[in-house]
Formats: sequence, C-alpha cells, structure tokens
Amino acid sequence: MLPLKIAWRFVRSSWAQSALIIVGIAVGIAVQIFVGSLITSLQASLVKTTIGSSSHVTLTDPKDGQPVVYTERVQRLVTTTTGVKAVVPTRQVSTLYSNGTDRVPLTVKGGVLGELDRIYKLTPRTIAGTASLRPGEIMIGKDLAAKYALAPGDPLSLLTGSSRTTLRVSGVFDLGSSAANLRQAFSGPEFPRGLLGHRADQYTAIETQLTDPFLSKTVAAEWAAQLPTVKITNWQVENKDLLTALQSQSGSSYLIQVFVLVAVALGIASTLAVSAVQKSRQIGILKALGMADRRTGNIFFAEAMILGVTGTGLGVLTGYLLIAGFTAGTSRSPSSFPIVPEPGFIAISAAVGILVAVLSSLIPIRKTTRLDPIEVIQNG
Amino acid sequence: MAETLVVAEGLGRVYPGAVPTVALEGVSFQFDAGEFAAIVGRSGSGKSTLLNMLGLLDTPTHGSLMLGGRDVSRIGSSERAALRNELIGFVFQYHHLLPEFSVRENVAMPALIAGRRLDADLTKRVDETLDVLGLSGLGGKGANDLSGGQKQRVAIARALMNRPPLVLADEPTGNLDTESTDAVYDLFRTVNREWGTSFLIVTHDQEIASMTDRIFEIADGKLSQDVRNEFARPTRSPSGDPARP
Repeated sequence: MLPLKIAWRFVRSSWAQSALIIVGIAVGIAVQIFVGSLITSLQASLVKTTIGSSSHVTLTDPKDGQPVVYTERVQRLVTTTTGVKAVVPTRQVSTLYSNGTDRVPLTVKGGVLGELDRIYKLTPRTIAGTASLRPGEIMIGKDLAAKYALAPGDPLSLLTGSSRTTLRVSGVFDLGSSAANLRQAFSGPEFPRGLLGHRADQYTAIETQLTDPFLSKTVAAEWAAQLPTVKITNWQVENKDLLTALQSQSGSSYLIQVFVLVAVALGIASTLAVSAVQKSRQIGILKALGMADRRTGNIFFAEAMILGVTGTGLGVLTGYLLIAGFTAGTSRSPSSFPIVPEPGFIAISAAVGILVAVLSSLIPIRKTTRLDPIEVIQNG
Repeated sequence: MAETLVVAEGLGRVYPGAVPTVALEGVSFQFDAGEFAAIVGRSGSGKSTLLNMLGLLDTPTHGSLMLGGRDVSRIGSSERAALRNELIGFVFQYHHLLPEFSVRENVAMPALIAGRRLDADLTKRVDETLDVLGLSGLGGKGANDLSGGQKQRVAIARALMNRPPLVLADEPTGNLDTESTDAVYDLFRTVNREWGTSFLIVTHDQEIASMTDRIFEIADGKLSQDVRNEFARPTRSPSGDPARP
C-alpha cells in the first residue's frame, strides 16, 4: 500500500504533467475504440448488404441444368449442422418479360414465401401491394415496376421458350439493389416446377444461410465430404474481391491501432522516465530509510497503473461519446450504418491500454531499483 | 558492561575502475551501545565512505563488519534495507524531507516502511516525538512550509522514529546557524543520555567534535586516531540545559 500512496502523491504533486499524460492515454484509447468499432461495424454493414439477402452455402447438381435432389439424407444433414439458420429449397427459371413492345430478361425464383422470407425477407421489403406467392401470383422489384409502370394487381406476361404464361403482380419489393429489383422476381413453387418438370423433391438449388457467414467455407467443406455427388459452393469463394477488401481494411485498422498504442506507450514511458528522474532524490531518501529496491520500483508500477487505469477509463468513456456523436451526426444519411461498440473489443482495448502502461513502467522501474541512494544523499 | 554495537575488522572499500580508488583501508574499531562519537577528517579522507558502510548504504570490499551482533559484510540489498530501517537513523547535512508529504508523514515514514499504518497510535507517537523536538502543532504542515532549522529537526525526529540503537549523522549542522547548531547538538546529547541511543557524527566542526566522548580521525582512508575525549563538554551553549526527550 505504501508504494501506491507514494505514487499517488507523486502523481498529485506533478498534476499538470499527470493530467497531460492521462489525456494522452485517453485520446489514444478513444481513437482505438472508435476506429476499431467503426471498421468492425462498417465491415458488418458491408457483409450484411452484400450477402445478407443471398445464399451463404448453396447445393446444386454438378451438371448444369440438372436438378439437385433434396433427399431426406441431404435435408437431415443441412438442417442439423450447427450454425445453419435457414434452409430454402428453390427452383429458378429464366424468362422474358414481354409488354408487347419490349422484352426484358427476368429470373423467377420459386419457393414457399415463409421459407424465402428467411433469406430474402420479401415480406418486410414489400413496398406496394402485399407479400403473397399463391398460385398464379408473382412479386416483382421496384425498378421493374417503375420502368414498365407495373402496379399490384396488374398482369405480367412471361415468355419461356415457346410458351407464354401470365401471372398477376401481388406485390412490389425493394431488395436494396437496382439490378436485383429489375431482373429478379419471386413466385410460388408451382410455376417454375411446371416449367422445369421437376419432381416434388427436385430443386434448382438448396440455399442456406449461416449465423456466422464467415463459416461458409468450413460448412461447405463439411457438406462436400458427406455429399460427394452434390456441388457445393459458398459465398466466400464467389466474392473473393469483397473478402480481400475486408481483409485489407482489417489490416489497415490493426495497423492504425498498433501505432496508436505505440504512441500511448511512448507517452507513458517518457512521462514515467521524466518522473523517475524528477523523483530520484525522494527515491534515494526512501531507500536510505530502509525501503527495499523492489518496493521503490513498485512506486513507478503503481504510478503507471494510476495513469493507465485513469487514462483508459477516460478513453473508454470518450470512445463511447465519439461513437454516439458519430451515430447521431450521420443518422439522417441514407447510406449511414450504426457503429456498434462491442463490449469484448472495448474490454480488450482497455486491458491492452493498461498493459501498455504497465510495460511502459519497466524502464523507470529498472532505473529506480538500480538507483544508489548515496549519490542522491551526497549531492543534496 | 555496554553491549557492542559495531565491530569493524580491517574494513576497506576499493572503487573499481581503470585505476582502482582506495577509499578506505584496514579500518578496525569497536563501538558500544550508548556511545557518542565524532568522525573527523579532511574532505575526501574517507569518513563519509565509512559512514555509508556503517549505515549499510555501501558494502565493504575488504574486511568484515558486525552490526548489532550480525555479520553484515556480505548481505543482500533487501536484507540491508530491512536492517537499515530497524537499526539505523540517518541525519544528513541537507534535511532530505519528502516534499509531497506532511511533516507528520515524513516523521512516520520509517515506521510506514516497516509496515505500520499511520493509525491513532502511530500518530500519537509521531506527535510526541515532534513535541520533544519543539515542533508541536507543525505535524499537519507541508514539509516545505518550515524554516531550515525546523526542517532539520523534523529530519532528526524521522531518524529517531523507529527508536534505532544507532544514529549516523553526516555533517548534520553544516547548513545551520550557530543557534540551530547548538540546538541540534543538545538534542543529540539528550537523546543519547535519555534513550541510550548511540551517535556517530561526521563533522568538520571542531567545536562539535570536541563535545563528543570519542573521536575517530580518518586520514587517507585509514583510521589514524581513535581517542577517548576525557574533556568532552556536554554543551557549548551557556545555559547548558537541553530539552528532555
């Protein structure tokens, strides 16, 4: 306790110097928390936007155009695998939308609305009409609806090979991508099944989503080992560029955080080194009075802890305030995303901040333990 | 018969270097509990080196040193620190108080280092010591709020805090005026007489030396004289009535 008491007096007696280094640590930790949370949230937002409404691991037949058979074995495997949050068997047909003068390609994905919702979230994304995929109904994207002045209740004529089918538009959705909103439509399972001639257990693809999208490679490999006759693809292979960008972003974020911590460490180390010189007379006296070398070193350990804990605490608070300020300032922007401070990351940042403070005290501790009290006493 | 406090046998200190420096060589003497002695000698003669070794601040390179019945010649730094705290009180030429602490905390510091807490008992003891040294009511003041003479008396109070059997004083009156010098000497004498505390005082002041019971003279790193002062005057102040501890 005595080293802590002495350290506290040292901190108090040089309050301006102590306040400056506490602010320095606080700024460093706040930047660390803000930048780390910003990058993590940005990546989560990017991942959500890119693959939030698409299949993470997809099962198809190895031969193009052939259906995959959704056997009981396949069903048991994909539905019981840990981390799988949605399994949606779909059938997809390529059609042409024809309005008499114009013909545009339109991919129709057929499935049960309740199941499709688990990946594509059609019901919450319906902006006109109702989310409904009963036989004879189709849901279209807002860009197609706008381009050809289509509204719920309108008939939609589709050409598939030599046949023409007319479905009724039940609702208009917005998937957040104009390409998807123009080229993608959804129907019940019967329409594509009839066109493709599939049996009840045959599908174009078995689409799945995982709780952690970054496990798609592992899950795909696991399924591939058990289902050698099925082609299994995952989003990480199909979106290599996105993954590379995310990894680069993480790398630059780590680099920034490391440099911030190095700056904090140098700040604390220099302050403590100056303090060790300034207080060398007091340390010499304490040694002369019988304080052991190790205990005098503990004074600077305690001083580093006081500065580190206070600065880190203030930094965590400032980091939260920065995040709240940023979120409030950008909430009205349509492209904004919420920064979510993760308690685990903040706890690690705080622990690293304190650890850096403690490591920074090693040099002054060494200097102090080696101080010869005779030098101090004789030099007055 | 008085208990033997210090036994030095062929004590020496050589500082290593390109040309090794012999600071002290072949010093032997015995010093009993309750003695009141001075160490005199010219600057650079080795008297401070001797004091540092007796105070366990430095270790001898030659010979042996017994302190309080223990051989302390080759003990480690932690053990030396603990013994320093228990057996020795230091008074330096400069007061060396800790400016971050109050007068009371400064005086209590040796006890705090020994592991005691500044509770009511310790506070009472500190205040009693301050009373004896004529510093009543100053315990709550900052160490820097006192005059030079008061600071030196606080330093003496600190040296006496753990009631050590030996007080080592290195030019304790070097920075003081005549009146304060007399007061310090009187205090030392009184504590020596009343508490039986031994004193070894390094001094240039012949007057002070002449008032001690035994004089060690160091010349060129050797103990050139060790004389009993049969004519020691108890005080040089005309009134000659030191305060009682």
